[in-house]
Amino acid sequence: MAYAYLFKYIIIGDTGVGKSCLLLQFTDKRFQPVHDLTIGVEFGARMITIDGKQIKLQIWDTAGQESFRSITRSYYRGAAGALLVYDITSTRENTLKIVIGLSLMFRRDTFNHLTTWLEDARQHSNSNMVIMLIGNKSDLESRREVKKEEGEAFAREHGLIFMETSAKTASNVEEAFINTAKEIYEKIQEGVFDINNEANGIKIGPQHAATNATHAGSQGGQQAGGGCC
Amino acid sequence: MLSSVPHRKTWNKSKKTVKVTRSYPTFPSLNAWEEFRGLFPVDGEPNPGVGLGVEEGLLGQMVHSPEFNLFPESVVFESNFVQVRKGRDWIDIYKTYNTMALGVTSSVPCLPLPNILLMASVKWHHGQNQTWNKPSTAPKIILKRILPLKFVELQVSDHLQRVLRLRTVTEKIYYLKLHPDHPKTVFHFWIRLIQILQKGLSITTKDPRILVTHCLVPKNSCSPSGDSQLVQKKPQASQPSESLMQLMAKGESEALCQIFVDLHQHNLFSSRSSKKTENKKDSSGKKTSPSEDSIPCTRDLSWRDSFTYGEWERENPSGPQSLSLLSTLAASTGPQLAPLIGSSI
Repeated sequence: MAYAYLFKYIIIGDTGVGKSCLLLQFTDKRFQPVHDLTIGVEFGARMITIDGKQIKLQIWDTAGQESFRSITRSYYRGAAGALLVYDITSTRENTLKIVIGLSLMFRRDTFNHLTTWLEDARQHSNSNMVIMLIGNKSDLESRREVKKEEGEAFAREHGLIFMETSAKTASNVEEAFINTAKEIYEKIQEGVFDINNEANGIKIGPQHAATNATHAGSQGGQQAGGGCC
Repeated sequence: MLSSVPHRKTWNKSKKTVKVTRSYPTFPSLNAWEEFRGLFPVDGEPNPGVGLGVEEGLLGQMVHSPEFNLFPESVVFESNFVQVRKGRDWIDIYKTYNTMALGVTSSVPCLPLPNILLMASVKWHHGQNQTWNKPSTAPKIILKRILPLKFVELQVSDHLQRVLRLRTVTEKIYYLKLHPDHPKTVFHFWIRLIQILQKGLSITTKDPRILVTHCLVPKNSCSPSGDSQLVQKKPQASQPSESLMQLMAKGESEALCQIFVDLHQHNLFSSRSSKKTENKKDSSGKKTSPSEDSIPCTRDLSWRDSFTYGEWERENPSGPQSLSLLSTLAASTGPQLAPLIGSSI
């Protein structure tokens, strides 16, 4: 299908926070309670519409577990957007599910690790990458360990967008992906992103590129046509 | 941490101008570049790997497309598979128009072994002939995952039925039956690949019979003068095994090339000798078909420049080299080259 722009996203965060479930909910509109640990990178894609333009989101779901992340950092560089995910809950039951190797991780840790993830992302990506902080599993209110205000404060402090989501109920999942795209799109309009530089994680649909070859972030209303996807 | 982009840029520039004019000081086999280059298809010649559907196929085209732009300088070895499950016989899991493209490549082209596995789902149009070089209508191909090969185990599950078993470190198991449209040779490629992945190439060992002559240190630290004597002394290849050793000695240790070389060694020799004596001898005997005419490795040889930059570490290939690896390779070089290496470091 034709698209005006393609935005590359990465999803990052500790293992077990629901990164793959968020992707599955966004691309397939379904929830899978048990998901294999991600190794390397898994891909998803979906078309969205912003400002009347078709935008293809190419989403790279990365491994959260450190030992499986050997190749993933290298892919940060070409991303226009990142979803940085943590888990708002902490339960003994959940914690036991994520015994990995010899380490036992508490859910609260997924929030505490955000700084590391953020540093990692900023170090390996382009400086304009839009980062959406996501507190996932908002359906598990009774098990909440991280207050929404804490997430908001972290996001504010580090210049991130913030949302709480539930991959299970689909709450805010669409919004999280789409709001990130809107932010990227706005940056394109403002000329912050050089859309001709592929390292920014943005590609222009073929015909759109032809009509806008000379000016980045064009307001040209022509829909992209002929782009392959 | 894989910060190979600047490096790529460097030699992307040189790609346009490099041709054979680069100097490969010190290491004689690299001075034989021009001769070696003749082994590979030049632009315009049909590539047998393409003909067999194992190179520049749908998967390779997709990952190299602007949309992904992944491993742009690395060749992708790929085939089309049908996902099956075990029963009394192998049972197709999906309908016949859903297949899986499986491929291996390297995150950095000069690595001695591939380190990346690519998996993509392919949805063919109903009734479409599932050939993968240039299908009349492009099927829908979706890249599903990239796996570091170190987290994957590949085995031959059923030789007769051409079924591979792919097991990930998380115990996800796929049984993949090579698509019936692929010729038998292609399954042999996979068997060879599996052997290489399991046992490595001799170049990765301390096998003293193998001359490892490509420069693993930055070329600036190599002696500036070329030395062609050893090249001239080098015996003409007369046996396939010698040829393989020579290929590896020339830095062509890349496993994907190895697979092709191994399986096409006869053709390699026909091709090589015919190229050398192009005008002297009419290739009257057996005219090989275009698909057998040359090694189906890669047309773009410019990536081989990176051999001179010491790319060795797999996950951080642009980082400093491990001394232990260098010493391993030094140990594997023949006595006549040891002083040269010593003087170049």
